[in-house]
Amino acid sequence: MTRFSDRIEIAMSVNGEARRVGVSACATLLDVVRDQLGLTGAKRACDRGACGACTVLVDGRRIYACLALAAAQDGKRVVTIEGLAPGGELHPIQRAFVAHDALQCGYCTPGQILSAVGLLGEGRATDEATVREQMSGNLCRCGAYPQIVAAIREAAGV
Amino acid sequence: MTVRNGSATPRIDAVVKVTGAARYEGDTPMTGALHAALVAAPIASGRIVRVDDAAALQMTGVACVLTHANAPRLAGSTSPIMLQDPTVWFVGQPVALVLAETAWQARLAAAAVEVHYEASPAITTMHQALDRAYAPASAGHVATDSLRGDPERAPRACEIAQRYTTPTHNHHPLEVPCVMARWQGDALLVHATSQAVFAHRRRLAAHFGVPVDGIRVVSRLLGGGFGAKGSAWFPCLVLGVLAARHAGRPVALELTRAEMFTLIGRRQETIQQLRLAATSRGELTAIRHDTIAQTSAFGEYADPTATVSRVLYACPSVATTHRLVRVHAPQPNPMRAPGEGPGSFALECALDELAHALGLDPLELRVRNHADHDQHSGLPWSSNSLRACYRAAADAFGWHARPAQIGSLRNGRSVVGWGMAAACYPVYRMAAQAEVALDRDGRVIVRCGTQDLGGGTTTILAQLAAAALGVPLAAITVEIGDTELPEGPYSGGAHVSASVTPAVEQAARTLRHQLIERAVADAASPLFGHPPGGVAIADGLLTGSGRSESLAALVARTGRLACTAHDAPDPEPRVSAYAHGAIFAEVGVDPDLGAIRVQRISAAYACGRILNPLLARSQLIGGLVGGIGMALHEQAVTDSRTGRVLNTNLADYAIPVHADMPSFDIALVDEHDPHLAGGVKGIGMIGTVGVAAAIANAVYHATGRRIRDLPLRLEQLIA
Amino acid sequence: MRPFDYARATSVCDALELAAARPGAVFVAGGTDLVPLWKDAVCAPPAVIDISRLPLGAVEVGDREIAIGALARMADVADHPGIGAAAPAIAEALRASASGQLRNAATIGGNLVQRTRCSYFRTAGFSCNKRAPGSGCGALGGDDRRHAIFGASEHCAATHASDLAVALVALDATVDLVGRGGAGDAGGDRAVAVGELFVTPGDRPDRETVLRPGELIRALRVPRTALARRSCYLKVRDRASFDFAVVSVAAALHIEAGVVRDARLAAGGVGTVPWRLRGSEQALAGARPGEPAFAEAAARATDGARPLGHNGFKLELLRRCVRRVLDELAGAA
Repeated sequence: MTRFSDRIEIAMSVNGEARRVGVSACATLLDVVRDQLGLTGAKRACDRGACGACTVLVDGRRIYACLALAAAQDGKRVVTIEGLAPGGELHPIQRAFVAHDALQCGYCTPGQILSAVGLLGEGRATDEATVREQMSGNLCRCGAYPQIVAAIREAAGV
Repeated sequence: MTVRNGSATPRIDAVVKVTGAARYEGDTPMTGALHAALVAAPIASGRIVRVDDAAALQMTGVACVLTHANAPRLAGSTSPIMLQDPTVWFVGQPVALVLAETAWQARLAAAAVEVHYEASPAITTMHQALDRAYAPASAGHVATDSLRGDPERAPRACEIAQRYTTPTHNHHPLEVPCVMARWQGDALLVHATSQAVFAHRRRLAAHFGVPVDGIRVVSRLLGGGFGAKGSAWFPCLVLGVLAARHAGRPVALELTRAEMFTLIGRRQETIQQLRLAATSRGELTAIRHDTIAQTSAFGEYADPTATVSRVLYACPSVATTHRLVRVHAPQPNPMRAPGEGPGSFALECALDELAHALGLDPLELRVRNHADHDQHSGLPWSSNSLRACYRAAADAFGWHARPAQIGSLRNGRSVVGWGMAAACYPVYRMAAQAEVALDRDGRVIVRCGTQDLGGGTTTILAQLAAAALGVPLAAITVEIGDTELPEGPYSGGAHVSASVTPAVEQAARTLRHQLIERAVADAASPLFGHPPGGVAIADGLLTGSGRSESLAALVARTGRLACTAHDAPDPEPRVSAYAHGAIFAEVGVDPDLGAIRVQRISAAYACGRILNPLLARSQLIGGLVGGIGMALHEQAVTDSRTGRVLNTNLADYAIPVHADMPSFDIALVDEHDPHLAGGVKGIGMIGTVGVAAAIANAVYHATGRRIRDLPLRLEQLIA
Repeated sequence: MRPFDYARATSVCDALELAAARPGAVFVAGGTDLVPLWKDAVCAPPAVIDISRLPLGAVEVGDREIAIGALARMADVADHPGIGAAAPAIAEALRASASGQLRNAATIGGNLVQRTRCSYFRTAGFSCNKRAPGSGCGALGGDDRRHAIFGASEHCAATHASDLAVALVALDATVDLVGRGGAGDAGGDRAVAVGELFVTPGDRPDRETVLRPGELIRALRVPRTALARRSCYLKVRDRASFDFAVVSVAAALHIEAGVVRDARLAAGGVGTVPWRLRGSEQALAGARPGEPAFAEAAARATDGARPLGHNGFKLELLRRCVRRVLDELAGAA
């Protein structure tokens, strides 16, 4: 059986750009976007799906890039924080984060923002309690949680 | 000079942080670097007998394996982490370091290194050796023990004697510590997550026996620290530098999250015995606060845990002690609100117990024991607005409506409880240098070799310079985190703002003065010949008698101008300086299922001059969130049979999530402190002080259960 | 941490053939449990078979049963309006699981076969009979707060981590399994009740399910009954979200003419497998809702429980959880 391989060629749309990448069978999407594509906005903070700092959108859905095998993302549409403000115009969530001071050290911020964008896309940002519950997969050790939720509520209009 | 609060401007690095453009040190590896991975000891105590690295050395990409046998020797006092000898002191201690072309290859090879040990008996928790507690040389920066009056013979109508415990905590900034080192001869370039670039530079020079001037340490942007990227992380930083020295190539070492539980410090576990005595009217007559805490088998560190009891209340007889137990466990170090954080849990819970025993409102008890000066040092307060904090937070909270009856507030199924606590944190200041320069292109550069952990130092520096110089914030560029800059303080103890403010303001004022002098002396300037006293600078424009010239035009013609200033704290202070706060918390407890949720917190803080109210509020909330973690969630658990930490990931070491958040109501009490240069007290620590006690006291008010062991867990309410 | 090879399956038959061709290869879909276990060297498969593109993601709420494809994502099942109405316990269990990101990636089949959260299992330095058979159990006599009061042996007391599985056990769900040489892409070869899918550790803690090597979960089937319609899931956890259950209970009541015709209760966080509370069910069958049956059902929830050093509180907590869900279900119209 030769179908098993330790390297795979994959094609992805990354921030709107078609990319072909050769990836190791055991590489995660996080490894590939950070180390091969140089998109370092996604952070390797826990590397076990427990903190959310690596959150990216795949086909519009927020996931933890540190748990997703890169090989399985062939043909997918990936958006990282670098692709959220093409042309320099901030996304409404990004603008709200700035206005509400919804960040301190900034390390969890790309993940928080992409999680919020995903959440809005899912149509689940319906009220404060739901936003808190739905954002609980993104840790912030600086403790910017209330400002983050305020920013999301403003952007979501709830 | 006018000392006034700054404006609530958004942080100047917000846009780079929300767009992912912010480059943390680990985001740009050095080209040509080897990657390091560590091999950790699985035993708590013993010796390395033999290291078999033959298999690892055969693996793809592996350059070399460092052990105590072949690592370059370091001068001075070293840590067991630095691979200098074969003794093992704790589970997780690095015993070998593998260098390979990629991080992945290094990790694979590290798993293939076989280390043989001779194990010795180990003390794996401090409870196994409480009888061996000893007095350390100091508690933080202060004396180990204190005594005033005679606590044993003090009169008492009412007495509280209880034992409180706090567990081991880990800092867990979300950014994992990393170091990249490149040697060229005896010159060294280090990019690292460092809370202390200058201190790390000095210590590197000492260990490697090379000139300080040849070493450059850079740490421009930090993804949090909370104490984990200072002295406790330094031994690992040395490992990276050591490996680069050995390999003759640049080396990158990035820790794993699991390694952050053992290699970069921890908040030590404590057992605190509190004894309070009071008159029937609630006047404190005696306080005894005795602390036993964990230290490692190889190093000594004691948080100033009981010191809060020396100063927070008026009391004629106070005794405090700090004792340590040596454990074959990781080395403790300061973590956000060291000392006052866990110490205030015990003191402020005991105060609550005393209030209930006396039938007094807990707030009233504190007001009655307000200290009108620092009774420990005998010095007057530089300023003390604790009573204003009580009023502001109590009013916002609605404390006056608190029913004395336990369990009398309900909200649907949950029982609601209200609790409060006072907080204080000492004002620390360090020497600081700063330069403010006006470049030929009209940009203002603020240069200071301190760091920004995330609290907003960068923004504060820009605001201070902009205001003192008279230029818009957008004209300012801030350079920090580099030993090429004027020396700034290390980041910790909430002292950066208090330390750098006078120097930056002084440098900016001097620059302003010199620019005016230059303009009026320059024949090409519209302000030529004008009396300097009549020239103002605002919005980047020099103006006098209706004539004006932009600063940019002036320097474009006359050249760059830079001014440096230095400020150091008074070596013999004549006042005692503390920030103060009052915290009121409401919890909801499910009386059947034991679940505790914090529903709202009102807190007021008096921290001197506030440089940016927006950022200050954020940082205080951040401290409170840390306090909620301390109250309800955080605990590093050690398996006592092996000495190994059990929950070495962020799923099992629980820090609060969005859903755990209460609503916050933060008041910043106006406080003018004429005794502090710059008027700043610092806000990074105090938010974490008192929170756990306020929450525990609220749980008591809801349930009648007095939980004296952190974290508060549902089983303590079910039993 | 050992490198593995990768192959992408194009059909169910293909997946089974790939598995047969490579001993030790494991199926992966969302990867949310496998990847961290692999990173922590808890498992070291020589190869993974990516089944994420197989057409097994459909969710169908029929008149008589709910069919959930094994590759349906947790979030999609939780949000499916038909499931919320027909079997609220399933939707509630899924919503109380993990985090938004994990629910978007993790599949239903993967959720069922996720490994225990026991720290002794998940940290390679400890003894663990599940991870390294014969090495001993670090948890027994160690930190066992999170461990089981039901179904443990002297070799293992690790709890099963899935919220969903608890709800499924309560709702009499079955899983369709396919193996090599069977129906393959056409359908399942055998159906196993979720309650029978998991096995208690006994002296083989490394064996967790009755799945045969190379066998694949194809789908879940949940009978659409009056019982399922009146069901709920209660989860008690330390954090308010993104945390595993300290104790959880799924319950379903069929009340007709003022009498409990049928009752199902199962508990999570307390058993080495999702634990059916048969004593509680017996106390309810044929009784009138409310006192004294609910008190009796709560009391009997801990029939056969054997607490360890630090988890004795789970007995009282479990009884109170049972009482709470019964009160809620009886109160719900």
